Amino acid sequence: MMSWIDVSCILAVFLALTILATHRIVGMIKIIALQSFLLSFVPLFLHAEAISGRDIMLSGGTMVLKAVLVPAILFWTIRHISMRSEIKPIIGLGTSILCGAVLIAVAFWISLSLRLPGKFESSLVLPCSLATMLLGFMIMVTRTRAITQVLGYLVIENGIFLFASSLYDAMPMLIEMGILLDIFVAVFIMAIVLNHINEEFERTRSPVHRPKWGESQ
Amino acid sequence: MSSVLSMAFPILSHWLIVCFLSPLFLGVIAKVKAFFSGKVGPSVFQPYFDLAKLFRKKCVYSSTVTWIFRAAPVVILAVMLVLALLVPFGRFKAPVQFSGDILLAVYLLALGRFFMILAALDTGSSFEGMGASREAYFSCLSELAMFMNFITLALLAKSISLSQMVGAHIPMTWGGLEPALLLVVASFFIVLLAENCRIPVDDPETHLELTMIHEVMILDHSGVDLAYMLYAAAMKLFIFSGLLVSIIIPVRTGDHWTDMAIFFGAMLGLAVLIGIVESTMARLRLNRVRLLLLISFALAFFGLIVTLWRA
Repeated sequence: MMSWIDVSCILAVFLALTILATHRIVGMIKIIALQSFLLSFVPLFLHAEAISGRDIMLSGGTMVLKAVLVPAILFWTIRHISMRSEIKPIIGLGTSILCGAVLIAVAFWISLSLRLPGKFESSLVLPCSLATMLLGFMIMVTRTRAITQVLGYLVIENGIFLFASSLYDAMPMLIEMGILLDIFVAVFIMAIVLNHINEEFERTRSPVHRPKWGESQ
Repeated sequence: MSSVLSMAFPILSHWLIVCFLSPLFLGVIAKVKAFFSGKVGPSVFQPYFDLAKLFRKKCVYSSTVTWIFRAAPVVILAVMLVLALLVPFGRFKAPVQFSGDILLAVYLLALGRFFMILAALDTGSSFEGMGASREAYFSCLSELAMFMNFITLALLAKSISLSQMVGAHIPMTWGGLEPALLLVVASFFIVLLAENCRIPVDDPETHLELTMIHEVMILDHSGVDLAYMLYAAAMKLFIFSGLLVSIIIPVRTGDHWTDMAIFFGAMLGLAVLIGIVESTMARLRLNRVRLLLLISFALAFFGLIVTLWRA
């Protein structure tokens, strides 16, 4: 099942690249959900010959948390804070795609000289997880809104997940579950905070009528 | 005499395939689109009737045009016919193949495009000038992606002949689901849509000058000239699809008829896929087309890196 790991690594980087070219927050959330969904199969692919209960728990937990709950919270947030869906990146989308391509090359170049303990199931896991992380940083740095920074953070986490699940045998499951929970809580808190910020500002600006999402003033 | 015949036969059979099947490809796409919008739609042979109608008509030339305008349709059709000889169609091996013919293929495409742009500028119409400028810009980006894909394929096949690159040598790498090929296929599909002015990039059906690319450049052509242009566009789509199908499904069962059935079945599938893409997607805003092509380039570049990494 080596090739399935390779394919999911490549798709993870590909989806991170498409996020760089997406100009709507809704689209970005959907792509991240898809990426998380794909990556949640990686533990199963890694131990295809003997799938243990631990693999299924890790995979299922990741899928429920990152591919369902976190996107649901994000969708709830953008619906409730009536924000414009268009993003305004610091550097243009075209430039960021090209930078993304360069970052992928950098990730592969770095992993040439990276010697890590533990064995990797596939030679593509390390460079692809690095590339996903770098692309996540890129999203975080170039997108200015609070919510898009959270999205960048989620992409970085997906990269870390890919990296960690290939080092799986060297890492206790508790840590992975702890990280997942952390992310969940972080996104949750972000949603609440964004909602509060929004309410404060709306109240100061127009006390009479607060437009709902999709409703013109 | 017989040796001349045996040399001419592959060339003729190649031309027959391209000339007879390329309008059918367009017909299938139109049929799929009609199905998705809940209509019966014209027959799949409608493009043949359209071409036949245009071939019966006379050309009308504006008084401002020069010989370039008259030469362009002929050059473009000739380029497509020559290009068809370099591309393998399933079991039909490319009649002309030599090391480095990939460059010839890309430059032939560029030659056709160059004449199309010149002809559009020659009319002096501001709309056509706009279309020409867009075509030049987008093809600049798509050529970049195309070359990246070809470099990846050349590395995989260890050859720089088009027939070797997309022909029978790739299946060895598909056996293990070579992930780089996945990227090449995705990237090449975007290039195919962009080069042939299909929907996410350009709508072949619209005739609103502000949004179109390819259609606006042939606005002033009429009669036989227009037929040449449309025929060449159909052939270009067919050739690109043939390349993509050869990359995805390299034919290698021994039986001649099975191979042919697989190839043409896959071509039909690709036509249906293009129809589905066209029915489910809206045309992108012009400034987003650039992003699509850059994504295609980034994918091809990523494919190249992965190939180098695994080599």
